[in-house]
Amino acid sequence: MTSPMTDLSVRGTVTAPRYRRVLGVGRSRVLQYVVLAAAALFVVAPIAPILYQSLVDRPLYEAGGVFTVANYTKLFTEAGFGQVIVNTALLAVMTTVLTLLIAVPMAILVVRTRLPFGRVLGLSMQWPFYISSLILGFGWITMYGPAGFVSVEVRELIGFVPWNLYSLPGMAMTEAVALAPVAYVFCANVLRQSDAALESAAQVCGAKPLRILFTVVLPMLRPPIVYATILTLSASIESLSVPLLYGTPADIKVFATFLYSNGLESVRPDYGVLGAASMIILVVTVAMVVAQARVLKKAQRFISVRGKASRPRRLELRWAGWIGAVAITLYVIFGAAIPILGLVFRSFTLIFTPLQNPLRTLTLGNYAEIFAFDDYTRSITNSLVVAAVGAVAVSVFALVAVIVARRSTFRFRRAVEYLALAPQAIPGIIVGIGFFWAFALIGSGGVLGPLLQGTLLAVIIVFGFTVLPTAFSSIASSITQIGAELDNAARTSGADWLGTFLRILWRLLIPAFVGALILSFVSILKGYSAALFVSSANSEVIGTTVLVLWTEGETGAVAALATLQIAITAVVVAVASRFMKGHASA
Amino acid sequence: MPEVCLSGLSKSFGGVSALDGIDFTIREGEFFTLLGPSGCGKSTTLNCIAGLEQPTAGTITVGGVPFVAGRVNVPPEERNLGMVFQSYALWPHMTVAQNLAVPLSIRKVPRAEKTRLIHEALDKVGLAHLTKRYPHELSGGQQQRVALARALVYSPSVLLLDEPLSNLDAKLREQARAWLKRLQADLGITTVYVTHDQDEALALSDRIAVMFDGRTVQIGTPAEIYEKPATAGVAAFVGSCNFLTGQVVGRRGGHVRVRLRDTGGEVLAAAPEGFPEGRDVTVAVRPERLRITPPVDGTPDGNALDAEILTRSYVGSRYEYDLTLGENVIKVVSQDGSLTGRARLAFDPADVLVYADVALPQAA
Repeated sequence: MTSPMTDLSVRGTVTAPRYRRVLGVGRSRVLQYVVLAAAALFVVAPIAPILYQSLVDRPLYEAGGVFTVANYTKLFTEAGFGQVIVNTALLAVMTTVLTLLIAVPMAILVVRTRLPFGRVLGLSMQWPFYISSLILGFGWITMYGPAGFVSVEVRELIGFVPWNLYSLPGMAMTEAVALAPVAYVFCANVLRQSDAALESAAQVCGAKPLRILFTVVLPMLRPPIVYATILTLSASIESLSVPLLYGTPADIKVFATFLYSNGLESVRPDYGVLGAASMIILVVTVAMVVAQARVLKKAQRFISVRGKASRPRRLELRWAGWIGAVAITLYVIFGAAIPILGLVFRSFTLIFTPLQNPLRTLTLGNYAEIFAFDDYTRSITNSLVVAAVGAVAVSVFALVAVIVARRSTFRFRRAVEYLALAPQAIPGIIVGIGFFWAFALIGSGGVLGPLLQGTLLAVIIVFGFTVLPTAFSSIASSITQIGAELDNAARTSGADWLGTFLRILWRLLIPAFVGALILSFVSILKGYSAALFVSSANSEVIGTTVLVLWTEGETGAVAALATLQIAITAVVVAVASRFMKGHASA
Repeated sequence: MPEVCLSGLSKSFGGVSALDGIDFTIREGEFFTLLGPSGCGKSTTLNCIAGLEQPTAGTITVGGVPFVAGRVNVPPEERNLGMVFQSYALWPHMTVAQNLAVPLSIRKVPRAEKTRLIHEALDKVGLAHLTKRYPHELSGGQQQRVALARALVYSPSVLLLDEPLSNLDAKLREQARAWLKRLQADLGITTVYVTHDQDEALALSDRIAVMFDGRTVQIGTPAEIYEKPATAGVAAFVGSCNFLTGQVVGRRGGHVRVRLRDTGGEVLAAAPEGFPEGRDVTVAVRPERLRITPPVDGTPDGNALDAEILTRSYVGSRYEYDLTLGENVIKVVSQDGSLTGRARLAFDPADVLVYADVALPQAA
């Protein structure tokens, strides 16, 4: 459009700003559409090939495919899929019940009661941030597996081992230990936000602390418990690591391991069946996430908003408090500390069993083995490169997506938000399968093949996909703390939408960006399932290499590599949080 | 300085109407205030002028240039308006000078000129010595003035102020009010001011538009708004007011006689045409227009109602009485603090406002 402003704005030397438009569209709108298109393409890329593959009668890159539902009928009639469904359901239910039994009482005890060492116990709930469930699984096997350190010790003492780790309850127990902190954090946040005066009111009415817990605190937790239930259910449906480690020797298959063995371990994978199975899991997990979003919306209505910040009064439990503290300590020690420390210790020994003093075989040989082979060391550098590049790329994209979704008048801003969050509904292994097929399709006819098939770029893309929701949510929650009036002030001052970001907003978003960077880096470093399908011998990452070493029985090397991964994560987090602190005080 | 025309401006949020046909014209150089309770649509109106929100219907024209009309919608950055926000919205990571430099950099003002303009603008608000400070190092009053300087530094065509004084404490607010009034008069800039504070509106404005529920109820000078409120709602919102319901029982000259529903007493009121006998009405009298006298016999000039003093409070410059008149409680302001018990309320027919509706408004 022409600018009619000139006649009234030429006063002195200052003229009103004018922005160029191409076909009536300014640069801001163009960028917003680009973000929308990129997000849509990103999300469709892995899903479309799966859907397509599940409905054609031959591998999707072969010409002349005919549409059919035979893959689905085959899946349900052969291939033992019925047992897989039963196993998956059993595992999910057991895991969820156990998780809630650990997490809910813990949240109440830590947040709402005066617990001995409450702060330390609350902080110790952060350990899963550093440790993947794959590594936790290794740790548990090292200690509690049939030949594990603790198991052997117990057999020595009482003549038999009263548990069997390689079973569905064993998997559920390990998964529950890994998932409890997530459920805990969610319940704890709700409890922190709720009004402590509710409890004080009950106290004034003459209720004793335990009674208050059951009549006031627990009912208030209903929405987060429902949410945590769905969260745990969907997490355990898509989990691969523990079922893979425990289930393989005992031949127990669940959804994810079914995909793993049918897609990667079989000599001639049946792509149709693989596609059909992936589609079914996808439908289930998407339904879960939709339900989750619904509950979360409702849960926010339940939160009692308080006008002024009041220091929450904590209930005094006396002896019950000590029981709680001991229970949590047992959880942390036996669930996480012993297995992880055991794994670390294992990495420095040749043989790890109570039958022989492990200190006598102390060695650095496991590490030497890793550094002796290029394949292993390369997996470490690959992991670092993938995590670094992936984290930067994803955080940049997430930042722009958040600005479009939360700080624009773009008509499709909600769509951008949903697209950016969509990957959380897709299990990692399915992301891997989907992109594997997408790259195969793209690569089969063009020059992009060598770029995408089995390369580090492919690994970066799949990991970037899986951590996008994490980065998006982390930035989105920070941006709410930056008042929209700051944007509006820039707009009325003459900056267009993009100018507002380039001149003002980016500087204020640096802490949020760095936060997203660390989160994505650590998440990518921990991840492996999405890379299983797309990586090749040259683009292995730590996680995939560890899995290979495990199947080869190299438990010492597994322990060493896992230890290295934990160490790298810890160092990165420590350095980054130092930087963040310095940044905040500057 | 251009004039600002709003015509048929409507805005709805998902079916709920926030603005419903706003019409007014702000004259060149005028200090124009949108006054109303929270949620009445005054900030929405201001945001529509600024371009931060898009009206669903209607037109906005500034200095003859259509900002919003049909398919035309000039984005906020090209409207060249100055705006001060309730939170001041100073960019926290920039110094005062850097804050002011942003709009000038956007307009590609040469460096030397920029420095001069920033100094000039800060000088206007009396803060030329604070250029290197960061916003968090300033007091609330200083932040508010920096925000104003930032809105003025590029000589915008219209100044928009969204409750800029509401975050200041009471004493400072009064100082800032006087200062703002002077500055606006000096600059002669067309100013649109949004507030829910009636004192602020009366003290600052050339004209006021009183808004309720997304509509303008009355537009007029502060004196018109206070003396001749168009509706009982305006009377209740601007200043305080006593309301009594009754029925017109007679008409003589420019006056009507109203029999009060509650006590059966009669009130004589100066009222325009349009209140025929038998009509249900509400009469309104401001507390300071009522006099309290000891009960005396005989018929006085004007109106007299017998009431009973309920409470008396001393508020410094005056006494405030609550009197019971039938079921109603009447507020009266008086300098005399010695009255108790039965009393007579006296007031001029010219001070009585008559409204056709019988619903008693709630003061916001």
